[in-house]
Amino acid sequence: MAQSIAKEFTKGLWAELPPFRLVLGLCPVLAVTQSVENGIGMGLATTFVLICSNFLVSLLRNIIPAKVRIACYIVIIATFVTIVELLMQAFVYELFLKLGIFIPLIVVNCIVLGRAEAFAGKNAPHMAIADGLGMGIGFTLSLGALGAVRESLGAGTILGTPLFGPDFQPFTFMVQAPGAFVCLGLMLCLMNLIGKK
Amino acid sequence: MTDYFVLAISCIFVNNILLAQFLGNCPFLGTSKKMETAAGMSMAVVFVLVMAGIITWITDTYLLKPLNIEFLRTLSFILVIASLVQFVEMFLKKSIPGLYAGLGIFLPLITTNCAVMGACLINIKEEYTFLQATVASFSYAIGFGLALVLFAGLRERINIARVPQPLQDTSLGLVTAGMIALSFYAFKGMV
Amino acid sequence: MREMISMVVVLTVLSAFSGGLLATVRSNTQDRIENQVLKFEKAPAIKAILSDVSNDPLQDRFKLTTDGIENTFFVGKQDGKAASVAFETKGKGFEGAIGLMVGIDLETDTVIGVRVTTHSETPGVGSRAKDDPSFASQFEGQSLENGFSVKSDGGAIDAMSGATITSKGVCLAATKAQELYTKLKPEINNQITNLAN
Repeated sequence: MAQSIAKEFTKGLWAELPPFRLVLGLCPVLAVTQSVENGIGMGLATTFVLICSNFLVSLLRNIIPAKVRIACYIVIIATFVTIVELLMQAFVYELFLKLGIFIPLIVVNCIVLGRAEAFAGKNAPHMAIADGLGMGIGFTLSLGALGAVRESLGAGTILGTPLFGPDFQPFTFMVQAPGAFVCLGLMLCLMNLIGKK
Repeated sequence: MTDYFVLAISCIFVNNILLAQFLGNCPFLGTSKKMETAAGMSMAVVFVLVMAGIITWITDTYLLKPLNIEFLRTLSFILVIASLVQFVEMFLKKSIPGLYAGLGIFLPLITTNCAVMGACLINIKEEYTFLQATVASFSYAIGFGLALVLFAGLRERINIARVPQPLQDTSLGLVTAGMIALSFYAFKGMV
Repeated sequence: MREMISMVVVLTVLSAFSGGLLATVRSNTQDRIENQVLKFEKAPAIKAILSDVSNDPLQDRFKLTTDGIENTFFVGKQDGKAASVAFETKGKGFEGAIGLMVGIDLETDTVIGVRVTTHSETPGVGSRAKDDPSFASQFEGQSLENGFSVKSDGGAIDAMSGATITSKGVCLAATKAQELYTKLKPEINNQITNLAN
């Protein structure tokens, strides 16, 4: 029992690491990772939605009629997204400003709906929470890692602290749109290289 | 008139929804392996995005704002889009089977296409008027189609080239997308 | 038939539950959110512009609606008498809207100072409009008879090198502020008298 929970949890961290392995939910991955802070903030917001919606979907899985299940999932997810939106405005307004439109867009993040449909709708609540937590943490770490690469090269800082001294010329390309694609592509290539061995 | 032209150019090229705003990247990578699917997806997006843009604008202006329940925007927009997609699907199946055969499989995917939801939210955020919102939605959709078709063309060529194994597929796809984004960057500041 | 009923019932109950939950969260966070918006977006700019006032301009504020757009005006007092007013306008920059807080001396109708509040310009290039005071300081003491434009457009403002579009966006916002102030001056004075009572 405990083993299987652990399994559901860890698969999100490597074997099915969301943005890289499943290539889902790419928009926020590319758009908000100009810095580590933004990336992790976005990741945590998504994790919260993922866990809550997974839990509720799994709890109601025997009540929701199959034909309207997608509509029900969407209502559930949109509710939690709005809660996150309101809470972020009330408590971490600065971060909310930076992430902007991408907070309401968690609602159409394929990972959230994908997990509800593929996992939570078929499994018991505790498994669904483990799955949501694992996927969420995997997602957060990926965003943080991408943010770290882009921030360190593009602005010469990590979490706002300068890394390379005053002579460093920031490689601005990395924090702009094209750099996001290239950087993610190269990281994916690196993961493929490591995964092969 | 010029204003609308400028708005259209800005939405198609300068603020291209895929390459500058990072919206709708899942279908961008998912349906760009073949030109045919890319073209089908683009058509479906044009169709749905324009309608969604108009309907969500009306919802927001005449329902959410007067009732002061803007906090339900996310929830209502996604429901409007989801039911719109369902409706379009049923309508096409019955009335225009030819078009349905072409767009059919892409329609359900559009519900979770953040380009649609994103464009609707941008329309509201930029405080566009009804006409502006319509023009913007249409232009965003055209920009989406343009980028997707360009990208699919490149990917078809790459498929016949020999690519180092770790770089294959999505990885090189993303780097290619980066290069297209770079070329679109030339439009920045134009409008 | 039974299936139909259960579909309708489940969706209705779910939506009602979600609406109720959101309304509760909303009413509990509303005040906090409004304060956060003032604190993070407006307060730093207002404090910087209206530096030598004896009151808290954030408290002495009023709202006016023109052409369907609501603007909040912040009043600065000296020796218990209203001396200056600050409000925000928007201009279009390189990557979207630039918010500009403009402070105006009520007696001489001149600009006390301007500060960029929100922007999404390129870090290190357009973002200097907010971070580098030498650009914003050009607006200080300018009269409000005419609009503002950069030198290449025949105006008096030196554009920031490499960030002409951003500079033009700031000028546009300042011009809008000038137009708004000229148009609303009688109403602003009215409101200030009301405020004093």
